Amino acid sequence: MYKNKLTLKIFFFIVSTDILETFTQYCFKRSAIPQGDVFIKNFLDVIIFLKPIVFSGFLWLGFLSVFVTFVIWSSILSKIDLSVAVPIASSSYILIPLVSIFFLGEVMSLLDWAGILFIVIGVVIVSSSIKKEKAIIP
Amino acid sequence: MNQHVSIFAILFLIILSNVFDTINQLFLKTSVNSLNLNINSIRNVISFILKLILIPKVWVGFTFCTLSLLVWLFVLSKADLNYAFPVGSAHYIFIALGSRVFLKEKVGFKRWVGTIFIIAGIIMLTCSNY
Repeated sequence: MYKNKLTLKIFFFIVSTDILETFTQYCFKRSAIPQGDVFIKNFLDVIIFLKPIVFSGFLWLGFLSVFVTFVIWSSILSKIDLSVAVPIASSSYILIPLVSIFFLGEVMSLLDWAGILFIVIGVVIVSSSIKKEKAIIP
Repeated sequence: MNQHVSIFAILFLIILSNVFDTINQLFLKTSVNSLNLNINSIRNVISFILKLILIPKVWVGFTFCTLSLLVWLFVLSKADLNYAFPVGSAHYIFIALGSRVFLKEKVGFKRWVGTIFIIAGIIMLTCSNY
């Protein structure tokens, strides 16, 4: 078993944790939306606020998603350097704008495209930094 | 920007949130370094999960993760996104430094350049959107 080798499989796992994280946020948001007009002034209000959230399926789906993300992320960290895994996880910053363009028909400015390009270049450079070290060690 | 909280207080809180998350990642990384995962059967995956949740360091990391999230949510409730996000991308610097100092990872010139490109990209994306 090679340690510290970035394979395509690991790369897809990292991207999948980003997607799951987005899904988690969506679930938590959905579970809390019906309570948007509840004002919390005392302890009783907290219970009134939390009760429908706790009974909403979305909260528990969110928790499940947190757990799955945690297990996948731990398994990634058991394979590669932290200083490589975290920068590669920044590809999530690209996913959201790309989804907005292709599925929501949003228009991107030149600066947005430059930002996406910079992140892609950064991810490629960080990913390639691991191969070079691999070549030196043996 | 909310008038009640100064920009320096927000800056401090963003950095605090970043540091908490970095501590979380460092704890998690040192815990799983000893584990070896082979994803070839459900049995192996389940034994990996069981080993994972029995490591105390994982729970220390989880506590810091929660703290980091709480501070970050507080920041988002007080500051504009186009200020919080670019500053928050300093997270990558903390991760690189932490990995180098505590995990003895070889963070060479190339990895720093890549990380700085990513930070620059995030700043461009978040500054132009809002």
